[in-house]
Amino acid sequence: MILRKSIYILVMCLNILACNESPYMQGKRLYTANCQNCHMEDGSGLAKLIPPLATSQKIGSATFACILKNGIRDTIRQDSSYLVREMPAFSHLSATEVANIINFVNHSWHTPFKEQTILDVENVLNSCK
Amino acid sequence: MKTFKSTIAFLTILTIISCKPEPTSLPYLGQTYLENGKEIHHKVGQFSHYNQDSVVMTNADFKNYIYVADFFFTSCPSICPRVAKEMLKIHDAIKGDTLVKLVSFSIDPKRDTPSKLKIYANNLGIDHHRWYFLTGDKDATLELANTYFVAALEDPDAPGGFDHSGKIVLIDKDGHVRSFSEGTDPETTPRLIEDIKKLSSQYSNVNKTAQ
Repeated sequence: MILRKSIYILVMCLNILACNESPYMQGKRLYTANCQNCHMEDGSGLAKLIPPLATSQKIGSATFACILKNGIRDTIRQDSSYLVREMPAFSHLSATEVANIINFVNHSWHTPFKEQTILDVENVLNSCK
Repeated sequence: MKTFKSTIAFLTILTIISCKPEPTSLPYLGQTYLENGKEIHHKVGQFSHYNQDSVVMTNADFKNYIYVADFFFTSCPSICPRVAKEMLKIHDAIKGDTLVKLVSFSIDPKRDTPSKLKIYANNLGIDHHRWYFLTGDKDATLELANTYFVAALEDPDAPGGFDHSGKIVLIDKDGHVRSFSEGTDPETTPRLIEDIKKLSSQYSNVNKTAQ
């Protein structure tokens, strides 16, 4: 009985440990290098200056790749409040890198999660306005 | 039963009292030199800057306060938002302490006008009577940063045009540097908050004994 209990606990612990690691490690590294200074490690943003990612409508949208690559030039709006900052463009990122970041961000903060392939992202990037 | 309860209560109080460490004084950071046999501690430089309400503020405005300072600029794409987040944590943590102020010096006066700083501060959702955003002569501010042990210089190759470190520095009523944290490392913030409380309580203790 005790053995069964300990195995159960061990499996639970393993599950918890396994869940902490994002499967998109490359995306996480790119996020740390390009996005984290503003959007923070936990995606919480900064007050009304930098929008949080976790509650953002943009991260799951089809045009997310365009925002990442080209930035946002207009005033960023969030609910009824506005944010004075614009988001800079990250034009140096390749489609592969954009796909990695999108998958990491969506996997971390957007449900339901759907993985995007490099081809998906390339198609979106080609149709950016 | 009653005796048992009171014994437990007594022991708990005893534990709390004995566990409270004696507040040790914070060190004076920077070089100390002797003048006429008296120790002179490092002081931050003089400033005369506009705040977010276009009011000129100088060192004299802080002679009755202790404050934490950082150097930043609003269009900074690199470390500033992270430092601002830690400053915001400090701002919220010391809400009830009227002795403590916060000061953010802009190193980019060309873009950071008082009105722009006001919008920035509003968006941060801060108390304008406790946290001042100051802007003034650029070269004077870059030099001033050195006296706060913050590295700040203009660099066309750096993101946003300025290269600077993200230290948050604690200054006492006499302008001495007493503690600091790395604004880019959230793990160093709790210790700075402890130091702010320690320094603040030392001043209130002095006031109590003086009365």
